[in-house]
Amino acid sequence: MIDFHTHPVLVEEIVGDDEEMVRVTHDVFFIRNRLQPLETFHLELDVCGIGRAVIAPIDATAAKGVKIFSNEQIAQLCAMSNRFIGFASVDPHDPNAPRQLEDAVVRLSLRGLKLSPSMQEFAAGDRKLAYPVYEAASALKVPVLMHCGMTWAPRCKSTNPMALEEVAHDFPELKLVIAHFGWPWVHETAMLLLKYENLFADTSCLYFGAPWEFMRHVFGGQLPLTLVERSLRTKIVFGSDYPRVEIKNMVRAVRELGLSEGALEMIFSKNARYLLGEAEASYK
Amino acid sequence: MIIKTVTLTVQSRREQEMIDVTPEVQRVIAESGCQEGLVNVMTMHTSSSLLVTEGLPCLEEDILAHLSKLCPSEGNYLHRRYLDIDGRIGFNADAHLKSVLGGISCSFAISKGKMVKGGRQTIYFVEYDGPLSREYVVQVMGK
Repeated sequence: MIDFHTHPVLVEEIVGDDEEMVRVTHDVFFIRNRLQPLETFHLELDVCGIGRAVIAPIDATAAKGVKIFSNEQIAQLCAMSNRFIGFASVDPHDPNAPRQLEDAVVRLSLRGLKLSPSMQEFAAGDRKLAYPVYEAASALKVPVLMHCGMTWAPRCKSTNPMALEEVAHDFPELKLVIAHFGWPWVHETAMLLLKYENLFADTSCLYFGAPWEFMRHVFGGQLPLTLVERSLRTKIVFGSDYPRVEIKNMVRAVRELGLSEGALEMIFSKNARYLLGEAEASYK
Repeated sequence: MIIKTVTLTVQSRREQEMIDVTPEVQRVIAESGCQEGLVNVMTMHTSSSLLVTEGLPCLEEDILAHLSKLCPSEGNYLHRRYLDIDGRIGFNADAHLKSVLGGISCSFAISKGKMVKGGRQTIYFVEYDGPLSREYVVQVMGK
């Protein structure tokens, strides 16, 4: 089983005594819990049967003057644990972003790209800033995990998943993952998943209530569960957004939705493995 | 007068767990040199407890199960909302309630350099929201 969306912002071994990193975690990423040893991350995965986790940084150099982890730090963490799948982040404002992505994939062995239009302050459909980065990701055959939906950062307008329609159309070989299922735009997300073979979404949406309450509100409330079971199960990957939410609580929430074992297998494992180039697509 | 305050770390490995910390408390007392006095042990977290009971695995399970009946995770809690202080939703109200019921500290007398306790009394750090790296404080006061 794979968690496709985590951020290692509380891992003591990498944040350590770096006061600037602690400040960035508190003031830019808005996570204010105390640091934990790497062992806690492993145990968090163990208690809910998750084998591996995508760990993602965010390069917001132009917008915020900071990186919430560099690609090198992500590679360092991956060297400490074979349970991590490292993603890169590059700043679309930087003309060297495509080359930085290539370096992260080829030299550092990172396996995907994380982008956040709200935090990095760019428009997903920006042909000048964003398209060269998509082009590089497509050529490198790595998936892009795109923050969509509600954000605690300013400018939610830039995170509407509809902004990805043109991107999905223009880059048919690029695998794009709509993070947080694009909540509150879940109908738009569902439409995009139905329409575009190369669009996926993760489950990491939680903005009120308990995880199991929120999951039932979205899948079975806003969207019929039959839609997930019959059509979207091939397009959804499990993501927790840890440490914003404990992985164990999101696993329980998804498991308790009432989906078939086959659908859960796709959501927790097969679809993520496809995105990472480890398995055939579920829908083929 | 001796006052020694030590912060100790414990790694919980499960969601709920009772961890025997009696030997660690005894070690702090021994290292303090205190012969007559008092030791206080306190957890630093509001979703854990520091409690004393008989050191048996069956009781450990019973206590956790009983607290879970009293404070079910499925309960309707006001705490399930965005908490600016943490940057995330609070959905561990059940763990906080268990902490309130279990208590956060315990004290024992020290005499002739040893903790005065019943033969079956065991000091537990109790995790209600693990796995996490946790801290608890042991303070020895006396002479």
